[in-house]
Formats: sequence, structure tokens, C-alpha cells
Amino acid sequence: MLNNLTRRTLMKGVAAAGLTGVLGGRVAMAADEPLGITLVIPSPVGDVGWGHALAAGLEPVKAAYGDKVRVTVIENIPEGPDADRIMNKTVSDGNNFLIAGSFGYQNGALQIARRNPAVTVLHASGFQVAPNFSPFAAKYFQGTYLLGMAAAALSKTGKLGSVSAFAIPELITSINAFTLGAQVVNPDVEVSVVWVNSWFDPAKEQEAAKALMAQKCDVIFSNAQDTPSVISACEEAGVYAFNLNSSMKKYAPKTYLGCVATDWSPFFKASVDAHVAGTFKGANAFLGVSDAVVEVVDWNPDIPADVMTRIKAIEAKIADGSFSPFTGPITKADGSEGVATGTTLPDGEIVAMDWHVKGVATPLPK
Amino acid sequence: MNAIEFILAGMLAAATPFLLAALGELVVERAGVLNLGVEGLMAFGAMLAFIIVYHDGGHLLAFVAAGLGSAVLSLVFAVVALGFRANQVATGLAIGILGQGLSALFGKSYESLTVKGLPRLALPWLSEIPVVGGLFIQDVVVWLSLAATLAIWATFANTKLGLVVRAIGENPKAAHAIGYSVVTVRFAAVAFGGMMAGLAGAYAAVVYTPLWADGMIAGRGWIAIALVVFGTWLTGRIFLGACLFGAVSLMGLGAQATGLDVPSQVLASLPHLVTILVLGIISADRRLLKLNGVASLGEPFER
Repeated sequence: MLNNLTRRTLMKGVAAAGLTGVLGGRVAMAADEPLGITLVIPSPVGDVGWGHALAAGLEPVKAAYGDKVRVTVIENIPEGPDADRIMNKTVSDGNNFLIAGSFGYQNGALQIARRNPAVTVLHASGFQVAPNFSPFAAKYFQGTYLLGMAAAALSKTGKLGSVSAFAIPELITSINAFTLGAQVVNPDVEVSVVWVNSWFDPAKEQEAAKALMAQKCDVIFSNAQDTPSVISACEEAGVYAFNLNSSMKKYAPKTYLGCVATDWSPFFKASVDAHVAGTFKGANAFLGVSDAVVEVVDWNPDIPADVMTRIKAIEAKIADGSFSPFTGPITKADGSEGVATGTTLPDGEIVAMDWHVKGVATPLPK
Repeated sequence: MNAIEFILAGMLAAATPFLLAALGELVVERAGVLNLGVEGLMAFGAMLAFIIVYHDGGHLLAFVAAGLGSAVLSLVFAVVALGFRANQVATGLAIGILGQGLSALFGKSYESLTVKGLPRLALPWLSEIPVVGGLFIQDVVVWLSLAATLAIWATFANTKLGLVVRAIGENPKAAHAIGYSVVTVRFAAVAFGGMMAGLAGAYAAVVYTPLWADGMIAGRGWIAIALVVFGTWLTGRIFLGACLFGAVSLMGLGAQATGLDVPSQVLASLPHLVTILVLGIISADRRLLKLNGVASLGEPFER
């Protein structure tokens, strides 16, 4: 059974758990105890979004292991000391498999992994690796590149926008690939970005979308929003929009451009299998279309057929590994060379990307 | 539409959640009570309103229910803090956490759902003026909040009721001595403040951003409390502060959309900085601050 805890309901348990911790020390796990899997995420789990995608990724694990696993989802945990405390608690409660669902949990989660060699930690969007600590990230850029092509084909103004959470490499990469894809169809396309500097503030996200529309952006990329704030505002204004993780088509039946959907279940299942077998080895898991983790779904029927044919051709090349969106020549926004002609940016540099490509009009915050 | 038109058109709507909640807190504090539970009262009202609109109960009923619901919740604060004379700061915080918890609990099955907002009404003639015209196309709640601002200002300035509330905040003993029931008036003020916070939350959840998500109030209740203090308990300044805060936060987003080379972190903190700065400057006169400040704020009343 999935236990949906909020931070507030968890608080009640903290005092009691603290007491048992003091009295009994760590309770040794019996061999037939189910494996405790805890997922910690910064936003509430809804029908859609990042948290939903992570929680849904654990369903096949539950289906495969039945009552051999006990899955707990702790939602709405802000990054920072609160998160460290909660992750520590869940591990000391005997949960030996931790999924830290946000970039900002990195330091706390890594410390837990170092202190508890028996615990396996998966950490979203990070770059640190340890023997029992794997960062994982989706190659969203493979999908945003394809949607960039569609966006440029549908845009009348040649101006595209993105409402983005924080200027971290993962989000920057998505915006860059979106821009590069758009340039395939319309070389003069211009992309504006509004950083809301929050993972979760629906009102501000909607204001940001309206600010972009005021600048005549007529396709908007909702980059890492967990609620349909941007998507529903775009439907109301008649502006095309797309998002990541899970489909929000029901919030924008007319103007939904598509979804860069993620399915974490193959990765989660494989990691749990390895943990149970004792063969888990921390590694950087950067997963995309060819791993069946990333897939663009719910394409809008308004996309012209000829463009759709081109998109499908490139999608196939991405899937078989013969094409990467970050293949040179790519020029940075400041005019310097980003990727040389004929070379392809290796994954290690993609996950650390801290520059915008030419065509992104908004300067990157430093 | 350029960036300036965008800011003018959106400013009043962006300010409304702050304004409604701050006006309520103004009345509460003027009566000498400090209720720090505004954030939770807003969340509670937002959740109630959203559920009603989602089940086709209509926006009017949603606002009524949000106002009443948050008023009732704030009366719990009143019973503990005024009836039992508990510490107001601690009680307010507790009620705030309770409100947030209740909203998360009952809102759980509505997470990430959306509803329809309210249509915008254009004032004839005025809305056709270039550039500033957008200022006069607003939904009905914005117009009503402006009316409420005027009404509260007029009440404090010109009516016996306003003077009684102020007297009780200034010197409850004296007010009591001439026959006013301090606790009754304070109860009423707290309930009014709760109602306004509920309406503010309702506006956020069913008009401004018509969707429900746990935590969607995102600190707006705290900003409302800050506006009351930085607005030195004056209705006009609180209105100014709310508009300024709304305008500068939109400005930050608009500036990014136009590609201005200012770090977004700076833009995100601008609303706070500018509001503090402006309200700080206009209330720099310490004599005036003392005059407007509420003498018995936060102190329990004992006969």
C-alpha cells in the first residue's frame, strides 16, 4: 500500500519515533521484513507532474514484489535542513531504499548514503556518485528538441517562451534543445525564458506565462511545473503549450502541444532488483528515449504533416543513437563556440551545461 | 501589449490576495490583537472555495463559504487567545499551521485540479484609453476589494464603530471603563479578519490561479501581515503597498520575458525590497509611527 504522508502528518510521528530511537537504538531488521522504499519529493503528488511521475514509477516495483516491499511517499518537503532531517528519520526507521526526488536534496542524501552503506540512494537530477548512491536524470532534451520543431512550425510570431523553475543544468539543457529544435524549422526563432525561482508557486507561474504572452510568445514551454498552472493559462489565451513528465492534455484540450513524458519504472525496477540481489553499484543514470524512460506523447493534430514526418524521422534517429540534439556546430548565446562542427557533446558535459545557445533571448542568471 | 501594459493590467489582480488579507489583519491589529495565522486562514478559505466551485456550487457560494469557514477557524484563535488569554503569537502560529494542515487534508483529492475563473469586466470609456486601459478591465472581486478598501478607510476615519475599534486597540482599559466590551469587539475584529483572509484565499484559488494545489498560498499570508506593519496601520498605505508589491513582482517577470540582463534572483527579491524601502521611507517619521501604532497590540486584556 502506498502511504501518502504530508510533512504535517509526518510531524506527529516524529516525536514518537524520536522516543523509540532513544530507547531502542536502531531496531535490527529481520530477514523477512519487507524492503522499505521511501520517496521524498518537494511538491505534492497530484494527478500530473514530476511527483506523480516518480510515484507512478514505483507502481511496477510494487506489482512485482507485492508485500515484499513497503513504499512510503513523503511529499511537500522543501529542500534544506527539513529534508535532511526527514530523510535521516526514514532511514533510521529501517527504510533501506531512498529516492531523493529533488536536486536540492543532494548533500543530505549523499551524507546518508556515506553513513549507511547498507542503504541504497537514488537522487534526482544530481551529479554526485557514490558506491550506494546513483544520481538519475531524464534526457528531457531529446523530447524538447522534437517539440521545439513543432513549436516553430506553429508559431506565427516566431517568438517562443519558457516558464522555468530554477536555472540548473537540467532545465537549461531542455531550453537549449527546445531552441535548437525550433531553429531547424525556423532559423530566426527567438526564445524568451522567465525563471520563477521556485519549484512550486502556481500563481507566479501563471503570471510568468502571461508575461511571456505579453511579449507575443505564442508557444510556451512549461519547464518543470508540477501543476497545470501554465498549461491552463495557455489554453485560456489560445496559446500552444507543452510540459514535461506527465500529460496535461486534459487541462488544454485545444492548445496542448504534447508532453515529454517520463516513465521511471524500468530504472526503479532495475535498481530495486540490484539492491535486493546485493549487486547495486552507484552510477550516473542519464536516461532517454532509447532507455524507454523518455517519450513524447499527445502530439497536437495541428502540427503540419510534413513537419510531423521530419519530427518522426529525427525521433527514430535519437532512439537508435545515431543523432544527438547537441551536435555541432552550436554557437553559445554570447557568440562563442559551444560545440564544434561535427562533434557531439558528451553526456558529462550535457549534465553540467551552464550556457544558453544562440537564439535564447533572456540572459542566463549567474 | 508591451511590458508596461502587462504590469498595469495585472497589477490590481496580483495585489488583491494581499490586499484582502491585509485589510482583515489591519482591523484585527487595530483592535489590539495580533493574529499570525493569516497564511493558514487563507489556505483554508482557498480549499473550501475550490471544492465548492469544483462541484459546480458557483463562485458566489464559494466566496461566502470561504469567508464563513475562515471566520469560524479564526474564532478558535479568538477563544484561545482572547477567551483564555493565551499568548497571541503562539496561538496565531498554531491556528495558521492548523489551517494549512486542514487545507492539505481536505484538499488532497483535489490536488492539481482546475476550475474556471471569473470573467473580467471592462469599465466603459476608461478601458479604451491606450496603455492604461488594461487597469480598468478587472474581475468583479477586484472591484469589490477596491470598494472594501474605501469602506474600511471611511469606517476608521469617520464612524463611531471605527473609533471604538481604535480606542480598544489604543487603551482597552479606558474603553472598558466607558462601557465598551473589549472582548466582544476583539472577537468581532478577529472574525472579520478571518473572513477577509478566507476571501483572499478564495480569490487566489478560484479566480486568480483557478486551481488547487497544497501550498499554493506560498507565503502570501505572511506578506499580508508584513504589509500591515510596513503600512503603519493606515488603510491607504496598505493599499499602496499591496499594489506596489503586485506591480513589482509582475515587473520582475515582465523584465525577464523582454530579455533584460538582470539576474532573475534579484528580480524575484525586488518586490520585497521595493515594498520595504518605499513603505519604510514614507513611514520614516517616528512621531507619526508612534501616533499610528497600536498601543495594546498583542497584549491580553484583563479587567
